[in-house]
Amino acid sequence: MLKRFKASKIKIISIFFSLLLALFILVQIICIVTHTTLPALITSICSKEMRFAIELSLITSAISTVLCIIISIPTAYALARYNFFGKNLINTILDVPLALPPLVAGVGLLILFGTTSFGKTLADAGLVFVFTPLGIIVAQFFVNIPFMFRILRGTFQGINPRYEHVAQTLGCTELQAFWRVTLPMAKNGLLAGSIITWSKGIGEFGAALMLAGATRMKTETLPISLYLNMSCGELDLAIAAATILIVISLGSLFIFEKYGGFAKVF
Amino acid sequence: MISIKNVSKNLGEFFLRDVTLDIEAGSYFMVLGPTGAGKTILLEAIAGIYRPDRGEIRLDGRDITNAPPRNRNISMVYQDYMLFPHLNVEKNIAFGLKLKKIPKNEIKDKIETITNIMGVHHLLHRFPGTLSGGEKQRVAISRAIVTEPKALLLDEPLSALDTQTREILREELDRLHRETKITIVHVTHSFEEVFALGDAMAVMNEGKIVQVGRPDEVFRKPNSEFVANFVGVENLFKGNATVNNGISNVKLNGINIVSTTCKSGDSVISIRSEDILVSKKKIESSARNSFNGKIKNIVNKGTTIKIVVDCGIPFAAVITRKSFGDMELKRGISVYLTFKASDVHFI
Repeated sequence: MLKRFKASKIKIISIFFSLLLALFILVQIICIVTHTTLPALITSICSKEMRFAIELSLITSAISTVLCIIISIPTAYALARYNFFGKNLINTILDVPLALPPLVAGVGLLILFGTTSFGKTLADAGLVFVFTPLGIIVAQFFVNIPFMFRILRGTFQGINPRYEHVAQTLGCTELQAFWRVTLPMAKNGLLAGSIITWSKGIGEFGAALMLAGATRMKTETLPISLYLNMSCGELDLAIAAATILIVISLGSLFIFEKYGGFAKVF
Repeated sequence: MISIKNVSKNLGEFFLRDVTLDIEAGSYFMVLGPTGAGKTILLEAIAGIYRPDRGEIRLDGRDITNAPPRNRNISMVYQDYMLFPHLNVEKNIAFGLKLKKIPKNEIKDKIETITNIMGVHHLLHRFPGTLSGGEKQRVAISRAIVTEPKALLLDEPLSALDTQTREILREELDRLHRETKITIVHVTHSFEEVFALGDAMAVMNEGKIVQVGRPDEVFRKPNSEFVANFVGVENLFKGNATVNNGISNVKLNGINIVSTTCKSGDSVISIRSEDILVSKKKIESSARNSFNGKIKNIVNKGTTIKIVVDCGIPFAAVITRKSFGDMELKRGISVYLTFKASDVHFI
């Protein structure tokens, strides 16, 4: 027994480090959650400003997630199933938002929608993205689409195309075969992708800050609210926003681990 | 009748080259070939999954070369079943019927009938993930034939099953074909299956059809070294057996083979080439089967030598390199083949 104990020195050291790291992460979360009292937290969450931030966050992230799903399904399917000229290049380009700092992405979006004739045409048509909630949606979409796309691409790659072949011999058109067989089989991937895209969307700060700005009660999502209230010393409101973000993140992580563990994100 | 004319298709790794083939309506047609011969693409071209680069496919005279799979009325069963995992057995089988907009009560009746024929009625509410290989295959075949297709394409339907299940399912396929008279195209790499099931067959290699004919014809008269080597792996013979005093006498092509297995009627028997004793003189022994013939072919198999001896039917016997040398065997010389009645197996 003693001998075995001695022999596994590396085991003890490595486990010690992992415990230390876990503790470090846990302490941060506990620090935030215990910074105020529960009644103060509830009062803050019920305040008008915080309710606005929660609502705006939920709406923008839900819309941007739906957009990510709609655009990712055909894109991921094409890149999973077909070989075509420029496929590798497209795959690489689609990963770029993942590597780009969100602030930089935000600057790019701001220039595109604020200064080019493309952006001006959209603005003339009533679609104003600069310093509006619409801008938040676009920023979330741009930054988070690689997550959705990569999960779905992996999911489609894992589904044998022969399922669709059989469905076609049984009477399906190509589209029906996709709709009735492949898509239901991709359910877990879709769920996992949606969860991670949505929770990332709720937490999106950098790109949204650049494009949509940080205007109280206008483009104030939870992370923006946290930033604004922290800057002007409204600690209770800042903590309330942070606590909500923590709850959402942990919940999403749990669901993702349960249903999407197979999907490769990175 | 399915007629395939000069069909070529290139999918990179797998391809078809100038395939011409006629499959009679109602026949059980076997396609035999090694892995990578293009057997699966041939089925997929018939089913319409891939359109040929060149050539023409007709079904009962109608040109279906460019018709989408759903307009062909040809069903396909892949080797790994491809049962839709998100649907239970009942919904899997009903899948094609629902697409054809068949009324609900009629769908129910059809499912009832087919699942009773295929012996999967008790599985209706199970999901594919919970079924055994044999059960999955029965469900997949049920799903394919419940729509009453003009042809059923089977891609190595028995390869993934254990020996016992394989034998049961092989008999069921035979029965299914006899009862429904549906045209079946069955792809395999096992000559045993070809013999047990096929009315006609084609041998494929490297994307081409190498030989077409009745299984016993192809076996007896292979038209190339490839076919001879590929099908000549085992001694498989078709004959008529009668039981007498606890042993079977199998008559084939003028010779009589004795087996300890008691079966009668039209049968297929096999003798492992390793079980055959080769001698230059007739051996007096307890072995009941002894035949004389001339060495027709000698194949070097590395550590062993395979000799093919024509005793009215071609027997393959495997001997060691040393005995081959010691006996000074050559093509054309006469030898005796001896094997025990217990080494003659019925298929």
